[in-house]
Amino acid sequence: MSEKCIVCPCEDVTLADVEQAIGLGYLDIDEVKRFTGLGTGSCQGKLCMVTTCQLLQTAQSADSQRQARQPEAQKVPHPFTPRPPVVPVSLGVLAAGKGADRER
Amino acid sequence: MSNPDHPQSSAERSGSSYFHIEFEGRSVLARQGDTVASALIAAGVQVLSRSLKFHRPRSVFCLSGSCGSCLMRIDGLPNTRSCQVKAEPGLRCERQNAWPSADYDLLSAADAMFPRGMDHHTMFTSPRPLNRLMQKVVHQMGGLGRLPDEDADAVAPSSVICKHVAVLVIGGGPAGLSAATAAAQALGKSGEVLLVDAQGFVGGSYLCHPELGRDRARSAAQQAEEAGVELHTGTAAFGFYREERHDAQPSGQLGFVAAASDHALYKLSADRYIYATGANAQNLLFIDNDRPGVMSGRAVGRLLACHGIRVGEKPLVVGSDPFAEVLVQALRRSGQTVIHIDGVRDRLTRALGGSWVEGAEVCDERGVHRTVSCDLIVIATAPAAASELLVQHGASVELRQPGGFIGVADSDGRTQLPSVFVCGEVSGAMTAQDAAAHGAHVGLAVARDRGKGPARDAVSARAFK
Repeated sequence: MSEKCIVCPCEDVTLADVEQAIGLGYLDIDEVKRFTGLGTGSCQGKLCMVTTCQLLQTAQSADSQRQARQPEAQKVPHPFTPRPPVVPVSLGVLAAGKGADRER
Repeated sequence: MSNPDHPQSSAERSGSSYFHIEFEGRSVLARQGDTVASALIAAGVQVLSRSLKFHRPRSVFCLSGSCGSCLMRIDGLPNTRSCQVKAEPGLRCERQNAWPSADYDLLSAADAMFPRGMDHHTMFTSPRPLNRLMQKVVHQMGGLGRLPDEDADAVAPSSVICKHVAVLVIGGGPAGLSAATAAAQALGKSGEVLLVDAQGFVGGSYLCHPELGRDRARSAAQQAEEAGVELHTGTAAFGFYREERHDAQPSGQLGFVAAASDHALYKLSADRYIYATGANAQNLLFIDNDRPGVMSGRAVGRLLACHGIRVGEKPLVVGSDPFAEVLVQALRRSGQTVIHIDGVRDRLTRALGGSWVEGAEVCDERGVHRTVSCDLIVIATAPAAASELLVQHGASVELRQPGGFIGVADSDGRTQLPSVFVCGEVSGAMTAQDAAAHGAHVGLAVARDRGKGPARDAVSARAFK
């Protein structure tokens, strides 16, 4: 076993992965999600999203200091789009929703 | 690990009956009221699952169905959250995603091979033959669990239930129960109040609170029922579909909450929605923060309050909010030697141990590291608002520390959408008692909004903003 600091346990995304994404200039939560795959596992970001947004806030303020930008120019943190289902649901239950289609 | 007869649990334990469940061919003792996860933890099972890529050992973290670290194959069904399944006599459970076994998983070599994590963008992209080989390996190893034993056609078809009510409350924790009770009392026969909760019992964070626990959950549920609230437990709201409508909905209205129980799909709409979805436990960032034995404060509180299970002898508790204090006191009363750090002046930097926590490294304000011996690490820092459904509905959220992405609302809990209200932890970090008071306040505001109830309730609106 090796030492890892895990940000997203469902997809095994480490702090080093997130830092790599930030280092490449990805400072938006959606970009980091797409680059690392965090938040795409079975819990859909319930454990990793807020932590990552806080890391991004820190990185953004460091970035705007470096570029001598006003702090107001910083992005307002937003969550990535929470798509249904937000909890695991069996396909059998979902299939019932299209009763009319099934009878065809 | 022990499962003693300490004062907090004796009330739950007395009169309860024991039975056996089957764990990988072994017989494990479970108690009435146990979930699969709580029975296995009480039996001393350390590793409940292996992680997706690195096959790192995992055990429960949240114990409330919001994380993915207790997924097991249960009665032939893969990827089932073992903390959400009631233990029943003869139930079969096994661990998945490991070879030859979850205790000694050779596939965990991946953890050593990629010490800094996997970069999928450049991994094995060249030379071409290696790339083709690795594609095959990844296809073999990817995914989680095997398909179910049972043929999909053999499963009983689910029914669809469409319903429109005056007030729909999502979440049956302290805030949701109080809000539903207050709204139902004020509305009387003039409007139906329906509450859905994902868990097997209502109670939410009451059930994680060592001093409130099941007793408070039961009395709050009883009050709600007496007020005329229709309670649906085991019914998880999983989405808000903005552009769709269902058969029982008044014409002109769009959007409904979809919820699932084991055998039914619910399409629920309402004149007023109250989101009381609470908050999800969060972990901290430190090395090996995913080790079995690193648990959320709520998980440890739930094991103690609902299952009478005391994990370990020497827990290290991180956190300084009121819940952390209550938990520390309860663990001490149960006979444990508690080490308590605030997580700010003294920070957790590393978990020690392999298949279970054996210690921790702590760094103080001056940057001096020390090693602490412990057999459980309890992350009792603030949870983050469970605002996914609220966002799907179209309400605004903003990031707070503590609190996460909380719903933006006025002092009556009304969001910028006139029919949508929030109360409890989804609207900001608060204790279970404050969430109950906030829920009662918002429930009355909703009834008033429907033209019923007193002009102003006794609780000052200012107390909440």
